[in-house]
Amino acid sequence: MEEDFELLAKFKKGDQQAFELLVRKYKMTVFNTIYSIISNTQEADDIAQEVFLKVYTKAGSFKGGSSFSTWLYRITVNRCVDELRKRKNKIISYETEFNREDELKLKDVLVSKEGDITEELRKKELEDIIQKAMNSLPEKDRIILTLKEIDGLSYKEISQVMKISLAKVKIWLFRARQKLKEKLSFLYPEE
Amino acid sequence: MSCKKFRILLSAYLDQEITKDEEKKLLNHLKTCSGCTRELEYLKQIKGIFLLKEKKEPEEFFETRLLARIKNKGKQPIWQAYFPVFKKAVLVIFIFFLLIVGTVNYKKFFYHRPAEIVSDLLIDTQLEGNFEEELLEIYYGPLG
Repeated sequence: MEEDFELLAKFKKGDQQAFELLVRKYKMTVFNTIYSIISNTQEADDIAQEVFLKVYTKAGSFKGGSSFSTWLYRITVNRCVDELRKRKNKIISYETEFNREDELKLKDVLVSKEGDITEELRKKELEDIIQKAMNSLPEKDRIILTLKEIDGLSYKEISQVMKISLAKVKIWLFRARQKLKEKLSFLYPEE
Repeated sequence: MSCKKFRILLSAYLDQEITKDEEKKLLNHLKTCSGCTRELEYLKQIKGIFLLKEKKEPEEFFETRLLARIKNKGKQPIWQAYFPVFKKAVLVIFIFFLLIVGTVNYKKFFYHRPAEIVSDLLIDTQLEGNFEEELLEIYYGPLG
């Protein structure tokens, strides 16, 4: 965190290399967050570029009230929300339904030992199955699950990024997981 | 505490975001509730799915492309760099233009058109007056 502030301070003084170091450090995080919410690699790449472009132009207005990463996540999430709103006016079809093959693959992975995973299932296929499950969720749930499960943020950090209370973070995550559980109900024996 | 409340706690428990006191209550509840214990296992499994997710790489030359974009943005004429703002300003001006044109036409319609309507009505009133006089003549003979 201190390192980020130092790099940002250097960049504000005109050090371009400091900005490049920040980009190098966070590009994977920003890209994967966007991809998990938007579900399209090309668009995720383009939006990630826009996020860093905004960091470049708005760095001067960042007063350090939160950590740099929280600020970066907030820009990223806001940009994703904008994109999802734009999409509401377009017809975009996501793959959200599992076929029998997907279900069996996921079951195999979950019952197998960790070491066997790569042998049993190609990573790309598993990636698609998880993304299908995410695509089936409403945007709010997709965002909060991404921040928790992909980015590993704490509840406090999520509340700062999404500008909601800690109690809401707790409830929203609970509901998002319930919806995901319903989507993956084929994994569980009927109660 | 009901099972529903404990289930909300289960989600937070998995994230290690509950207090010691809540944890103690939850663990005591789990000893006696098979439904919540099963739910905890499902939630663990769901959390586990995300651990299987591979981190993806952005497309090649991310930094190079970004720096080129920044450089180009600097070279752009001001109106292009601020195109979204410019676009909004044009939209606002256009709406104002439509409002002005609309107001002018509104005035034309309501301040000229009524005169025609009234003159039409006057003719009708005249006709109606004549008709009434004719009726009076039929009943009571020539007037005056």
